[in-house]
Amino acid sequence: MLALVIQLFIAGFSSFLVVGLVSLYDPGSTEGAIEVDVGVTGNASGEVATTVADEGLRVVPYQSQSAAGAAFQRGNVDALLHATTQPGGRILVEATAPEGSFRTTLVVSELKSALSALEREQRARFSQRLDRQPIDLPPEERSNPYFSFTYTVLLPLLAFLPAFISGSVMADSLAEEAERGTLELLRVAPLSLRDVVDGKAIALVGLAPAQVALWLALLSYNGTAVANPLSVLTLVTGVAAVLVAGGAALALRIGARREAQLLYSFVALGAFGAASLLPQSPQNLVARLAVDSATTLTWLTLAATLAAAAVAYAGLRWFAGGAEA
Amino acid sequence: MKARNVARIARWETTRSAGDVDRETAVAFAVVLLALAAIVPALVTMGPTPGEGIYRVGVADDSQYAGVVASDPQLAAVDPAAEADVVVTDTSIIYEDSQKGRAALSTLRSATVSYNDFLMRQEPDQAAAFPVVVSLTYLPQSISVTAQPADGGQQAGDGTGAGDGDAGTGSGGVQTGGDGATAGGEVPTTGGGLSGLLGQAQSGTPSSLSPPFPLQSLVFAFAFLLPLNVVIQAYGSSVLAERINRRGEPMLVAPVSRGDIVAGKTLPYFLGALALISVISVATGAGALSVLAIAPLAALFLAATFLGAMLARSYKELTFVTVTVSVALTAYAFVPAVFAEVHPIAAISPLTVVVDSITGDGVSAGQFVLSTAPPGLAAFVLFGLGTGVYREEDMFTQLPVPSKLLDALAAPLTARLRAGLWTALFLPFVLVAELFAVAVLFVAPVSLSLPLLLGTVAVIEEVAKSVHVLAGFERGKFDRSVRTALVVGAASGVGFFLAEKLLLVTQLVGLPELDVAQAAFSPAALGVSPGLLLVAPLALHVVTAATSALGAARSRLAYLGTLLVAVLVHVGYNLAVVVAFA
Repeated sequence: MLALVIQLFIAGFSSFLVVGLVSLYDPGSTEGAIEVDVGVTGNASGEVATTVADEGLRVVPYQSQSAAGAAFQRGNVDALLHATTQPGGRILVEATAPEGSFRTTLVVSELKSALSALEREQRARFSQRLDRQPIDLPPEERSNPYFSFTYTVLLPLLAFLPAFISGSVMADSLAEEAERGTLELLRVAPLSLRDVVDGKAIALVGLAPAQVALWLALLSYNGTAVANPLSVLTLVTGVAAVLVAGGAALALRIGARREAQLLYSFVALGAFGAASLLPQSPQNLVARLAVDSATTLTWLTLAATLAAAAVAYAGLRWFAGGAEA
Repeated sequence: MKARNVARIARWETTRSAGDVDRETAVAFAVVLLALAAIVPALVTMGPTPGEGIYRVGVADDSQYAGVVASDPQLAAVDPAAEADVVVTDTSIIYEDSQKGRAALSTLRSATVSYNDFLMRQEPDQAAAFPVVVSLTYLPQSISVTAQPADGGQQAGDGTGAGDGDAGTGSGGVQTGGDGATAGGEVPTTGGGLSGLLGQAQSGTPSSLSPPFPLQSLVFAFAFLLPLNVVIQAYGSSVLAERINRRGEPMLVAPVSRGDIVAGKTLPYFLGALALISVISVATGAGALSVLAIAPLAALFLAATFLGAMLARSYKELTFVTVTVSVALTAYAFVPAVFAEVHPIAAISPLTVVVDSITGDGVSAGQFVLSTAPPGLAAFVLFGLGTGVYREEDMFTQLPVPSKLLDALAAPLTARLRAGLWTALFLPFVLVAELFAVAVLFVAPVSLSLPLLLGTVAVIEEVAKSVHVLAGFERGKFDRSVRTALVVGAASGVGFFLAEKLLLVTQLVGLPELDVAQAAFSPAALGVSPGLLLVAPLALHVVTAATSALGAARSRLAYLGTLLVAVLVHVGYNLAVVVAFA
């Protein structure tokens, strides 16, 4: 019950967090909603003004820097550009943006794209001075700025967190039984230790893909289509099995909850870190499967993960059987 | 509380934690840490991209775009005839009209821009290759017209923009870079990257500009608060471990007070948290003031974990409690700081103090008090509640959490008037909860947020006035008579009223200037006679507290009913005040 409340709470903030995290990823993704007014001064202002206006900003020319500065202070314009031509053809632009607000990011992103357009135009003008010409840019299309973030960061996070939690709960469960002494009672019952471990493990390994399935359904309902859902769930089950086996083995060996949890956290982190060094890391696997860009290597890595899961689980059962004696 | 006992217990806690680990586990730890240390440099050098190869681009090997596709890890080159999201032919670029296709096209476009920059860096004529040089500074805008000439203002702007050495050389660098630029040399880039994200001045080519990250507080929330999670995990484990198999019994029997034990057990973890925060402060460039600002929040983390560990029945339950505490407190720290533009709201969060001390803006005393006093007081109260159940009857039993909570609330109520004292002590929580509600509802339109806020405030205050009264009746601390109920209710109401005057601290920061905050905190501070100002709220609190106390004296169901009545009365009062003086 508490877990559900926590997840609802996090989900409530998630849209906030997504916007926040995406802005960290790509601060320019916030542009387009508001029109930015730019005050332009300087002897190169003519060229700058036309290009900047073409990019969708509203240009207000001023005769002097002081007049432009006063207008900026009053809030009549959102940014200032003072453009001067240097000998040699370079244009030196001194840009001023408002300080410390959400609008700052928007203004700076728009200035950046306008000035990049100016740079391209100037390069075209000086084309005879260049050995190699810059490559033509592909057409500009309105695309979802959160696409990459959703499939490459958010989705793997949602997929692997339940697996990590399953392993952690497994370690907790066994370590607590060991600490309280109830593990001895369980072993006296007609079940073997192997069966006890099996029972706990199957429940927890099964819980992870169930949670991820719910997340995938929620995302699809929200407009984020996920391709190959069954393959993603299979991958999650495999990873969960590996983590649960690891957590259980640690708890059985160490028998104290604090050390077992700490060691489990470090080992799980290390395993994920090491796996990131693979040509196709688990995170990358989820992204590729979800976006339908899987290659042969993807399927091979998936198969290898399942094999590793089977080996890990068999190892756990052998270990539990050995600990019995 | 004796300092000597506290110090001794603290020392035991530290050495016992370290000494408890057996040789095999210690070796395992060492091996794992070494392995992690080996992986980190590999990760840093190889820098795996999360979205490697998710966009398939059909491009021939001899096309000029082949180099572009090879330079961006997110793009994967495939045969033009095979299945692809974007196909590059000799004449045009075709893309699939789906979300993925358009995203692939944008990525190809930005990859081409970067690749062009790479090509241009190899050109001998740099003035033609990079014909535009930008230097970016930030200036504050004000509504009133300034008398200073803009040139003077601009220089002052460069001065304020030079928050650290980087930006200083940035402005200076433009002058020398200007000469270099005219000579057609390399364009010096200064101030991009992290300082760019934090809004310091930058200079260089247009592509090197990094727009500042609007939610700086999010970065600091992660940097400062995520490591605290490790500390509270260990602390919670240690506290709960005392309750298993009656391990904590010898300590209870020893000639030390409960306060000594709790303080001694907590001290090493609090000092550890402070050390961690100091290290992070130094690493991020924040000053000593940020450590002072975050310390009460760290204390609140520990206090909430302590109470959670005293109430939880197992390690699993403790994990959930710890996660709830982390998420709630991180949200409390992060959400208000988002509203950096609206300074009174942002002042609620200690992270704003951190951000201000890094960017060099001043921190007013009122702002500092507003962000540190509520968490500090709340921590104090939670430790008090937890220490109340640090006794044999509660520590080694397996009662469900709500039942234990009632125990904890009832434990300090040894006399009827104590109810009033504890209502007063709950005020930090009321404040924290109401501030949070203000921060969350701030973004909604006033027509929606105001009634919602009035309702929320009423519920929070009524619960704070009555929940421990219920506990007192349920646990037999008070006899269930009408007279007792009225006395206890009146005491609770008076306690609340007196402590509420502390809310005047919010005036220090200008919070009442906002409509929403005004409705929450001082609906009556709108030009009314002092007598009415004092009597009306006192009457309200006493009446509502007595109502819910009457219900609590009968049964839980009656309590819920009278609580609802009290909330409605409170909402009615708030509406009347807001409408009458609006």
